[in-house]
Amino acid sequence: MNQMSAEERMVKRTAPYDLCDIRIRDASEDELKGISEALSLGLSLDEMKAVQNYFIKEGREATDVELQSLGQAWSEHCCYKSSKSILKEFVFGIDREDILSRGDAGVMVFDDDYGYALRVESHNHPSAIEPYGGAATGIGGIVRDVICMGAQPIGLADPLCFGPIDTKKEIPQGIKHPRYLVNGVVSGIRDYGNRIGIPTITGGFFFDESYTGNCLVNVCCLGIVKRDDLLKNYAAGPGEIMILFGGRTGRDGIHGVNFASKDITSTSEDDSRGAVQLGDPITKEPVIHACLELAQKHLVTGMKDLGGGGLSCVVGEMAIELGCGADVNLDKVPLKEAGLAPWEIWVSESQERMMCTVKPENVDKVMAIFDLWDIIATPVAVTTDTGHTRLFWDGEMIFDMDIEFLTGGPVYNRPYELPKVSTKADEVFPELPALNEVMKALMSDLNVASKEWAIRQYDHEVRAGTVLHPMVGKLNKTGPGDASVLMPVPGRWKGLAAAVGCNPWMTGADPYKGGKACIDEAYRNVVAVGAVPNAFTDCLNFGNPEKPDRLGEFREAVRGLGDIARELNIPIPSGNVSMYNEAPGGVYILPTPMIVCCGLIDDVRKAVSADMKKVGSCLFVIGDTKDEMGASLLFRKFGGKGGDVPDSIPARLKEVSGRLLKAMGEELVLSCHDCSDGGLAVAVAEMCISGQIGAQLDLTAMEGDVNVKLFSESASRWIAEVDGADVTRFTEIMGDAATLIGITKGESLVVKGTDLDISVDELRSAWNDPVWKVMGGDVE
Amino acid sequence: MAIIDIRIELKKGVADPEGSNTKKTLESLGFGGIKSVKSVKMFEIELDLPENEALAAGEEYCKKLLANPVVQSYKVTVR
Amino acid sequence: MKAEDVKVCVVRIEGTNCEDEMANAFTMVGAQAEKVHLKQLLGQCDPSLKRSLEDYDILAFPGGFSAGDYVRAGAIFAARIKAGIGKDLKDFVEAGKPVLGVCNGFQILVELGLLPALDEVMADKPSAALYNNDSGRFECRPTVLRNDNKGKCVFTCDIGKGDLLMCPSAHGEGKLMSDIPNFTSRLEENDQVVFRYVTPSGEKAAYPWNPNGSPSDIAGICNPAGNVMGMMPHPERVMTAYTAADWTRGHPSEDGDGKKIFTSVMKYLSKK
Repeated sequence: MNQMSAEERMVKRTAPYDLCDIRIRDASEDELKGISEALSLGLSLDEMKAVQNYFIKEGREATDVELQSLGQAWSEHCCYKSSKSILKEFVFGIDREDILSRGDAGVMVFDDDYGYALRVESHNHPSAIEPYGGAATGIGGIVRDVICMGAQPIGLADPLCFGPIDTKKEIPQGIKHPRYLVNGVVSGIRDYGNRIGIPTITGGFFFDESYTGNCLVNVCCLGIVKRDDLLKNYAAGPGEIMILFGGRTGRDGIHGVNFASKDITSTSEDDSRGAVQLGDPITKEPVIHACLELAQKHLVTGMKDLGGGGLSCVVGEMAIELGCGADVNLDKVPLKEAGLAPWEIWVSESQERMMCTVKPENVDKVMAIFDLWDIIATPVAVTTDTGHTRLFWDGEMIFDMDIEFLTGGPVYNRPYELPKVSTKADEVFPELPALNEVMKALMSDLNVASKEWAIRQYDHEVRAGTVLHPMVGKLNKTGPGDASVLMPVPGRWKGLAAAVGCNPWMTGADPYKGGKACIDEAYRNVVAVGAVPNAFTDCLNFGNPEKPDRLGEFREAVRGLGDIARELNIPIPSGNVSMYNEAPGGVYILPTPMIVCCGLIDDVRKAVSADMKKVGSCLFVIGDTKDEMGASLLFRKFGGKGGDVPDSIPARLKEVSGRLLKAMGEELVLSCHDCSDGGLAVAVAEMCISGQIGAQLDLTAMEGDVNVKLFSESASRWIAEVDGADVTRFTEIMGDAATLIGITKGESLVVKGTDLDISVDELRSAWNDPVWKVMGGDVE
Repeated sequence: MAIIDIRIELKKGVADPEGSNTKKTLESLGFGGIKSVKSVKMFEIELDLPENEALAAGEEYCKKLLANPVVQSYKVTVR
Repeated sequence: MKAEDVKVCVVRIEGTNCEDEMANAFTMVGAQAEKVHLKQLLGQCDPSLKRSLEDYDILAFPGGFSAGDYVRAGAIFAARIKAGIGKDLKDFVEAGKPVLGVCNGFQILVELGLLPALDEVMADKPSAALYNNDSGRFECRPTVLRNDNKGKCVFTCDIGKGDLLMCPSAHGEGKLMSDIPNFTSRLEENDQVVFRYVTPSGEKAAYPWNPNGSPSDIAGICNPAGNVMGMMPHPERVMTAYTAADWTRGHPSEDGDGKKIFTSVMKYLSKK
């Protein structure tokens, strides 16, 4: 038989709408590839063959709607085909009784009456193309995931990775300058988050050349829900009405998931513009109100956000959970513009749309609530007992697929190569200038320097529940905090702490230890404020999984995350994977497992902040400082090589945290800050900056080389400030985990026996000014 | 049928942070020779009215909603 | 009036987003607060949901981005109110009932012509504007306010003249401007200045203590009668000491500084 072009295989149906029947059953391998390409399905040959077999068994040809639907459902983004088996092996299945749901967002017990929701996800690829809209819609999506649980969103956290904003290097064709991206992303988060009235309480900025071509925008949302009002994300049975509500459906965001599952190419900007969605925070805000009212009045059985894949994914997923099917009247979907083809409506990723399932007797009540808030809501489908999704247009069936097949998706065990890791054996310790210069260089490194330029553009106090703010210390002379703490239920002192942990450099140098280090950091940030770590959510940002070295990094990092989380017995009730983070020319990002840790604190009035409180108190380093210079800020800054990457010992982390929390519970700790980038020296300097107090250190009680003591980034460590009168009790509780390193004193940071003697003002300006200088604005 | 354009701009002497920030950013991206950047807001309104009435209607829109006379001036034109 | 009989209407539309904490703030001082959608006041809803402004004793406009702040901050909300219940609102103010606007609520009061309203109850067109911050950025930061009212404002009757309050600000458009000649001195003459931004030691503020560049550091004003007050900073966010940005550095009481604004108005009503 002669080869037929994909176009020849597509037969336009004679109908008042735009539909093609596609001859797929007798297509050759090449022709299958041609069809996948012509329709931008993003499906491989093997996947196309599975599709072909399905239609052969069904005894009919496919419609374009059906193929497009498969393209969405089987994308990496929707079905995690490359990562699922690894996640299953290492991180799934950490169970605890206080997990209330593993739905669109994870939900954990907050107290006897309430649960809290948490979820983080990526919005990397759209943000690289259109940073403002990409970031804004990222927030919109994650907020919807929390609302779907019936939860009131209470906090946002946005860890972001970019190329250095002060880079002097040539930016490759088709890539936007990091400064432009940072400005756009921060503006997008600001405008969306502020407008929907959810405080942005924490986050992080990570700057590295590897992100220049592919920035990372991870967005996290926390929520609070009465345990009685907790929603499911699926229909309770056949015969329920599916109501589509929120925004209208348009061409924006067509093929977003396939885009997210491909590398960014230098032409991405032109051919994928349709993949970036536009957001509308002022539709979202009433949607939040309406959804919460529906949940509180128990008027819906399930609720779900239309994310990747749009209607094509949400309908099947809501139906199949309890074995239902769904009949959809696609022509009822409200549109932004006339003339969309059925397949476009079915896969569009237009923002602000959600679906709920409602018992027929409650439909009128539900529609009345939407009406009060001027929200467009349309019954578009009914659940059935067929196990099939069927689409109708003016009564004519244009789609009929077995949902199990549609949502099943392929699972791959792709080949991987284990990475070579950094060790002490190949360590080259860098030449260092005078320690004052070293300190200034570390404090002004973009990864340490103040991010106040961004933080103050985010409303971090709206909802009036922010107890510990992202910046702590003297008013308008603040320094960095650890975790932020919220008081989610008015009138109750119980608090929810949240912090980000991520160290892509450690993960790059030793993915297994690095994965552990990310969890360790998030965990110790939460402990630093006096909260007990309770759950993690993770966003795993990695390169192309079809390349064995990248997948090897992923596998090792995930193994690390899983091992430490399991030993700590802390569940990960939600998460997200973002693959294919690569720029043109084969530059790929550092492996970046972004962790958010949530913790609980019984009484927020006992929360501890990181700013030094007074002159004359004692400073302790908590935890064990080791010769682990691998991937440290000092090495990165001054050209060190190799070295052991810090290894977190979960049992020790747990034990030391327990003691520290006990001391905090007895109100023995005046201030506490975790040791991360730049080690002990930078941690103490930051506490000086936020407290506007100097410190006199004497590190002789610690073992090892002084540069290691100052700058090693060994895991599971904190600096604690303790009043002299409480030292006996404090050391009794801490045992071998606390080492006295000095006192708060004067106006400079001084380390005995070294040439380090630098004023707090100098430290402050080294730390405070760099980002302001690049991004513009007045320096405080 | 008429289409009117409503141009809302800042009165003389009112600082324009959006404009000056945009100028700074353009310059930071390496563009030279920019003398000034002014932010203005435009509305395009389609009306089922004859031209002269459309113009008068536009004036009313500005007074009632679209412009704050303290900081903004407006100009209504018919296409 | 007894505190528990005081009914507060916290009015909202799409984009209003500080109504929960505003209602909580009034609840914390003993009043009954209800969050009411503007459509309920306009009667564009199910009859069972309809509300009437005259049934309330206090009207509060919370912060947020009403109608997305499109066109201008507060303009759309104000235009809708004026067209629908302008007369009811004027009656409410003329009856001496307290009206509070915070942040976007202040912007709405200005757009409504209820503030500064130097010579009238409710002006036809706005005579002031809350304009873009000098920094050109949204600013979320702690601010310190000094009570500069000589006694007319019903929201500060329980606060000593010259007392300092820490109330956080979070806005992009908070610079109070007017084309009225000698605007500040006219306000002073009428005792309409309520709060000024100052430093923590009570001295004249510069950026960042004055976060928006407002002339004469004005943060909040009232109408000539003293029953309508608008302010940019958020007192409802500091009802307890533990949401102030620096509470871990010591705090004299469990109460936050913002609470006094709410106890003031309750005290005023208790005498009615």
